[in-house]
Amino acid sequence: MSISSFFYNVRQGIKNIFRNSMFSLASIATMTACIFLFAVFFAVIINVRSLVTSVEEEVGITVLFDEGIKDEKIKEIGDAIASREEVKEIKFTSAEEAWENFQKEYFKDHPEYAETFKKDNPLSSSASYTVRVRSVEEQAAVVEYIRGLEGVREVNQSADAIETLKSFNRMLTYVSIAIILVLLVISVFLIANTINIGISVRREEIGIMKLIGATDSFVRTPFIVEGAILGLIGAGIPLLILYFAYDWLMGKLLAKFGILSSISGSLPTMHQVFQYVMPVGLALGVGIGLIGSIITVRRHLDV
Amino acid sequence: MIDLDCVTKIYSKGQPAVNEVTFHIDRGEFVFVVGDSGSGKSTLVRLLLKELEPTSGVITVNDKVLNTMTHRAIPKYRRSVGVVFQDFRLLEDRNVYENVAFAMRAMGYWNRSIRKRVPEVLRQVGLAEKYKSLPGELSGGEQQRVAIARAIVNKPDILLADEPTGNLDPSNSLDIVYLLDDINKRGTTVLMVTHNRELVNKFRKRVITMKRGIIVHDEEEGEYIEY
Repeated sequence: MSISSFFYNVRQGIKNIFRNSMFSLASIATMTACIFLFAVFFAVIINVRSLVTSVEEEVGITVLFDEGIKDEKIKEIGDAIASREEVKEIKFTSAEEAWENFQKEYFKDHPEYAETFKKDNPLSSSASYTVRVRSVEEQAAVVEYIRGLEGVREVNQSADAIETLKSFNRMLTYVSIAIILVLLVISVFLIANTINIGISVRREEIGIMKLIGATDSFVRTPFIVEGAILGLIGAGIPLLILYFAYDWLMGKLLAKFGILSSISGSLPTMHQVFQYVMPVGLALGVGIGLIGSIITVRRHLDV
Repeated sequence: MIDLDCVTKIYSKGQPAVNEVTFHIDRGEFVFVVGDSGSGKSTLVRLLLKELEPTSGVITVNDKVLNTMTHRAIPKYRRSVGVVFQDFRLLEDRNVYENVAFAMRAMGYWNRSIRKRVPEVLRQVGLAEKYKSLPGELSGGEQQRVAIARAIVNKPDILLADEPTGNLDPSNSLDIVYLLDDINKRGTTVLMVTHNRELVNKFRKRVITMKRGIIVHDEEEGEYIEY
């Protein structure tokens, strides 16, 4: 097809949308709902994922030692832990530091209370290692290993919270995929239907085109362009809505769930979310439009 | 130019619509194909447009054998054959200019060429003034002129006219055949299917007469003979 025919067909495709405007509107509305849900789920998943990552970074393993353990032994244990590949970071907190931290946290308004313990560190056996692993999945193995080390009294871990978050995220992902798939099928069906009506309305015109020697692609292109444009509009509207509503929505959410505000700094910004949502959403919209129209054109446009 | 060699077309049931038809039409000829309804005239046109496949026999147009033509080659072939129908088949929602331009757009012409060629053709068919009118605002004769303009805008070698005067009054019918005659004189081969006796007798062209799918008469400068 020549360039002039292509542009002519693009114009015809746009005209088609207005010719059966009610069906075009219905397709765009469904597509909008579909892509909007997709974008919302996508944004939520990205947020939960970043939440998991940030919590993962906070959470570590605390290793406490047997009473009266020698400093050399502590160092030995530290070296053994640090030699593990899964370990990202290991930090030693001496009993004195632990006590100081405790005082700062609990006696900051009444330093005189701490005076009572001046000579006798109540946390004398609280020297510890804080170990951070690279990924939370590896935590259990590391804990198991540390427990087996000689001189280790207790190992505390807090992976449960992360596990809960992760399984929530997994469930959310599956549910979103299922909902989005159903909506995708409906969108494809509606677009196919809209195009089909366009074809029936223009059957005579198509017949004339064929008789005067129009090529298959010349006859088909306007309908395929129509599908792609419907998809593009259907994806553009919800993305625009989300673009302007995202910050407002996040603000509302953070205000409602105070617990989230502590990690709000680590949540992705609208731009970070859109970096993924926009191309995927637009590709999805145009893709659905193209699939819907190509299916119909192949089935009903016998050229 | 157009060669039919023992061409038969049988629809799914019954008698052959066209039965072992053989004829040859030279470049630049004007031929009337006449006969009653059901004589196979329209089937002949559809075979020549490759809308139908012959059951047997060989059709050759412009040295191209239609029987073996691939689906992809059909559009290019049809561009060398203009066609006009009894019911005009214009696009009702587009004006005269767009109806004619449409045929050029389908060929991939740029607007510049279209803007030059369409007014030329509209002048040739006598509708230069009415280029903005919609088909519904025109008389039958004028609508058929638009259809003829559309058929010749791409300068085809052959013009097939299937009962082009079937819906027109005698005066308009006469004008249409004058127009086709003019197009023929400019070099286009014209094959006109009709059952209008007065017209055929007035113009004294070659007449192929058909009855029940068979050619019963073929005469240069012939007359409409009832069989």
